[in-house]
Amino acid sequence: MSATSPNDIAISIRNITQRFGEEGAPDSVLALDDVSLDIRKGEFVCLLGPSGCGKSTILNIVGGLFRPTSGTTLVEGRSVEGTPHTDQIAFVFQESTLFPWYTVIENFRIAMKFRGMAASEWDDRAMKALKAVGMASFARHYPDQLSVGMRQRVNMARGICVETPILLMDEPFAALDEQTRMVLGEDLSQLLAATGKTIVFVTHSLAEAVFLSDRIAVMTARPGKIKTIIDVNEAHPRSPDFMLEPRFSELRNQCYALLRDEIRATMAAQRDPAGVEA
Amino acid sequence: MSTASSTLGSSGAATSRRAFHLRMILIVGIVAALEFYGRFVADATLFSPPSKIVQSFFTDIMGDARIVRALWICIVEIAVAYVLSIVFGVTTGLLVGATPFTRRAFFPVVIALYVIPQVSFLPLTILLFGLGPAAKIAFGFSHAIFPIIINVVSGMRTVRELHLNAARSMGASRLDTIRHVVLPHMVPSLFTGLRLGMTLNLLGVILAELYVSNSGVGFFTRLFAEDFNPGPLFALIGSLAIIAIAFNEIVRIAERRLTPGAHRKTIIKTAGKEKQ
Ligand SMILES: Nc1ncnc2c1ncn2[C@@H]1O[C@H](COP(=O)(O)OP(=O)(O)OP(=O)(O)O)[C@@H](O)[C@H]1O
Ligand SMILES: [Mg+2]
Repeated sequence: MSATSPNDIAISIRNITQRFGEEGAPDSVLALDDVSLDIRKGEFVCLLGPSGCGKSTILNIVGGLFRPTSGTTLVEGRSVEGTPHTDQIAFVFQESTLFPWYTVIENFRIAMKFRGMAASEWDDRAMKALKAVGMASFARHYPDQLSVGMRQRVNMARGICVETPILLMDEPFAALDEQTRMVLGEDLSQLLAATGKTIVFVTHSLAEAVFLSDRIAVMTARPGKIKTIIDVNEAHPRSPDFMLEPRFSELRNQCYALLRDEIRATMAAQRDPAGVEA
Repeated sequence: MSTASSTLGSSGAATSRRAFHLRMILIVGIVAALEFYGRFVADATLFSPPSKIVQSFFTDIMGDARIVRALWICIVEIAVAYVLSIVFGVTTGLLVGATPFTRRAFFPVVIALYVIPQVSFLPLTILLFGLGPAAKIAFGFSHAIFPIIINVVSGMRTVRELHLNAARSMGASRLDTIRHVVLPHMVPSLFTGLRLGMTLNLLGVILAELYVSNSGVGFFTRLFAEDFNPGPLFALIGSLAIIAIAFNEIVRIAERRLTPGAHRKTIIKTAGKEKQ
C-alpha cells in the first residue's frame, strides 16, 4: 500500500450514520452507524455483508440519492450533499432500471440526455458499450423482450457508456447465471485495467468479491459498520486462473469466516433465514 | 421461456382463428333466430326482423334528412364532450397527482363525485343547459371526466421508485423525469381511463339525447315507438349502437398506436398478436 495523498482519493466516506424514520419511532431503523471508508482512484472495492446491513444505503449516499442523517461524503474532493454528481458517477442498480417504454438504444440515449451529453455522441457510445457486453444486436429491442440476464447486461452497459470515472454497482450480477456472471466479472476486471475506473461494488458472492476486488470491506450486521478490510493483492485484468490459486480460497474462506457470525446475528435478529446467501 | 411462448403463440393463432369462427356462428345464429322470430312469431307492431331493420335503415333513416342530421349532431356531441373531458380530465389528473399532498387533498373529492349516480342530475342538466346540444355535451363530459382523472392519478402514483431513482442518478431534472418517466409510465393507465371515459361518455350523451324527446334522436325514437313502427325504431337504435362501437374502436386503435412499446409483443411472438 502506497501512502495515500488526498489527491489519490476518489471517494471519501466520513462518519456516515443513517437512520430511517424518527429516532424512537417503532419503525425506526439505524442502518449505518458511523461508517468511514476511503476509496482510492482506480480501485475496485467490494462491500460485503449480511442482507440489510446497509450496503445499498452506502451506495445511495455516495451516489447522492439522499443525504445521510449525519456525516459527509466527498467525491473527488467535492461534498455530495444529496445531489448526484452525474459527471463523475454512474450507477448500476440491483434490479434492471431500464425504462420499459423505451428500446435499449433509447434507454442509452435518455441516460446521456439526462446527463446533458451531446446528442452526436449518444449512439456511438451506446453501441460501443453494448458491444462490450455482447448485446449490440439487441439495440432496437424493448427490455421486456430480453431475458433477465440480457437485461442486466444492458443495464450494466448503460452505466459504462457514460464513461464516468466512478461506477457504483449494486449487485449488478445477482440476476445472472454463474457462467455469465463470471464472464462479465472478467470483462469488468478488464475494463478496470483499461480505463482506471474506480468501482464500488456490492455483492453477496464471496468468490465474486475476491475475484474482482482490490479491497473487500466486510460489514457487520445492522447497524452496518465496516468490520474488516481485506486486501487482495492481484493486478487487473485478472484471469480465471486466479480462482485456482490457493490464495483465492484462503481469502474466500477468510471472508466467509468474518461474515458467518454477522449472518448468524442477522438471522437471530430477523428470524428470517430466507434473505441470506452463503 | 421463449420456446414455451412460441409454441403457445402458434397454438394461440389457431385458437384465435377458431374463436373467430365460433363468434361468427354465434352471430349468424342469433340473427337467424331473430329473423325467424320476427317473421313468424312476433307482433309486427312491436318487433321487426333484422332484414326489415336493415331495409328500414336505408329507407327511413338514411332517407330522412332530419334523422341523418340528428345522428350527425349526436356524433358531434359525443366528440366534443370527449375532447373536453380529455383536456380537462388529463389536466386535472396531472394537477391532482402531482404530489402526494395534492393527491391526498383532492383525490377523495374526485372519487366521491365519481361514485354518485349522475342519472339523477339529468333533469337538472337539461334545465341548466337547455334542450340543445349543450346539455348533452355537458352530460357526456360529466360522465367521462372522472374515470380519466382517476386513471391519470393512479397512473402517476404507480411510478416505480426504482425508475425515479435511476433517473435521478442520471441527473434528470424534474421536467425530464415527468416527460420521460412519469408520463410514459402513465400511458397504459391513461388509456384505461380513456376507454372507460368513452364508454361513460356515450352513456351520458345518448341518455340525454333520448331523454329530450321534442327534438333530435330522442324525438324520432319516441315518434317511431308511438307509431308502433319497430323497423325504423330498431334501425335508429342500431345506428346509435354502431356510432358507439365506432367511437370505442377509435379509442382502441389510438391506444395500440400510441402506447410506447405496446407493439413490442408482436416482435417476438408474431403469432400471438391478438388483442391483449
Ligand atoms: N428508504 C428506506 N426507508 C426505511 N428503511 C430503509 C430504507 N432503505 C433501507 N432501509 C433499511 O435500511 C437497512 C439497510 O438497507 P440496505 O438496502 O442498505 O441493505 P443492503 O445491505 O443493501 O441489503 P441487501 O443485501 O439485502 O440488498 C435495512 O434494514 C432496510 O430496511
Ligand atoms: Mg441492497
